[in-house]
Amino acid sequence: MVSIRQWWVQVSVALAASVALAASAQVAPDAQVKAVATEVTTVLKNDAGILNNQAKLRELIESKLAPNFNFARMTQLAMGRNWSKASPEQQAALSKEFKTLLVRTYSASLSNFKNNTIDYRPLRMQPSDTDVTVKTVVQQTNGQGIPIDYSMEKAADGSWKAYDVAVAGVSLVTNYREEFNNVIGNQGVDALIKQLQSKNK
Amino acid sequence: MKHLLLTAFSVVVVALSGCASFKTAAPGDPLEPINRGVFSFNNTFDHYLFKPIAKGYDAVVPTPVKTGVSNVFQNMSDAQSVVSDALQLKGSKLGDDLGRVILNSTVGLGGIFDLATPMGIERGNEDLGQTLGYWGIGAGPYLVLPFMGPSSLRDSVGRVAEGQYDPLSQVSSVPARNSLTGLRVVDARVALFPVEGLANQAALDRYTFFRSAYLQRRESLVLDGKRPKE
Repeated sequence: MVSIRQWWVQVSVALAASVALAASAQVAPDAQVKAVATEVTTVLKNDAGILNNQAKLRELIESKLAPNFNFARMTQLAMGRNWSKASPEQQAALSKEFKTLLVRTYSASLSNFKNNTIDYRPLRMQPSDTDVTVKTVVQQTNGQGIPIDYSMEKAADGSWKAYDVAVAGVSLVTNYREEFNNVIGNQGVDALIKQLQSKNK
Repeated sequence: MKHLLLTAFSVVVVALSGCASFKTAAPGDPLEPINRGVFSFNNTFDHYLFKPIAKGYDAVVPTPVKTGVSNVFQNMSDAQSVVSDALQLKGSKLGDDLGRVILNSTVGLGGIFDLATPMGIERGNEDLGQTLGYWGIGAGPYLVLPFMGPSSLRDSVGRVAEGQYDPLSQVSSVPARNSLTGLRVVDARVALFPVEGLANQAALDRYTFFRSAYLQRRESLVLDGKRPKE
């Protein structure tokens, strides 16, 4: 139950944030990653039941995380040289299914991170840069930090969107490129779409 | 026996790499058909025997004991890491790992308590496979080892050499040594539970998924995380 006062505080914070965003025109990519990660981890901490509720988790990721990713670009990179072999319809289907798969994988992985803290490494970038890597380290309780790097690209409207995530040096895009390439090489693009669809069912 | 195995192993590898390339083989994985066979054997073995044991251990043993056990084995691996730090002339990692081992082995009662981590002394996490990589030796063909899983020719060589100064090999009583080795394997398997669920969710083909993840991960460790952009 959210009281009227809490609700009002939330609304004013949201308003203030959107005004601040509009005023600064663009957010630095590392600040953006931090804001999104903080928002999501706060929800995870405050809503104890959410980790057992896959539907609710996915909703959270769809609404908070997904807008910060460029899924079409991720799909294109994961397809590599096979991208041009796919028709526009196939490309659209692939992007849609790949996005669903990534959102689900992300939801499934969140429960592993609930008790960890995230360190943000200083970002070295020039104001003119349009492609940067935001480095973070998820600190586990056993002393082993897991580096998570977000490759981000600046869109035409000035917003930053991630097009690859590397967990402990393992790039998501590279991993899927091998898998996609295998399936396409042996069975073709439609087979890949089918496999993704059945995986997402 | 060990030497005999190693020789037999190298003969097989050399013989196979001499063959014309396999039809479905990916670059970097000339042994794919054999690797896939071993991978599937490992999965079956894991499913029916290994994972149930690890699950049982995880369910029955109290968390503080499990943490202590993990810490002792991590401490041993930190000690092995010291050797690789030195061989790569990485002074700062050497200091950290040495400090960890000394502190955890003494005040931490033989490594049961990890006092170094809360003090911010990070684990260097080096091994001989990485050391060979650091000095310019490539990963070589990807290998799936029976029972042990993903590896490469270079990393397998590193593992065998590391076995020569494994603290557990100093335990003179054979039953004790075998039990401790078993415990170490179970401890490592329990640590994989979270990753495994993730891989099952993410992968279209588990074999390719693990191969790509393993090779990328090792490359990243060799370069200490300074992965060049594509």
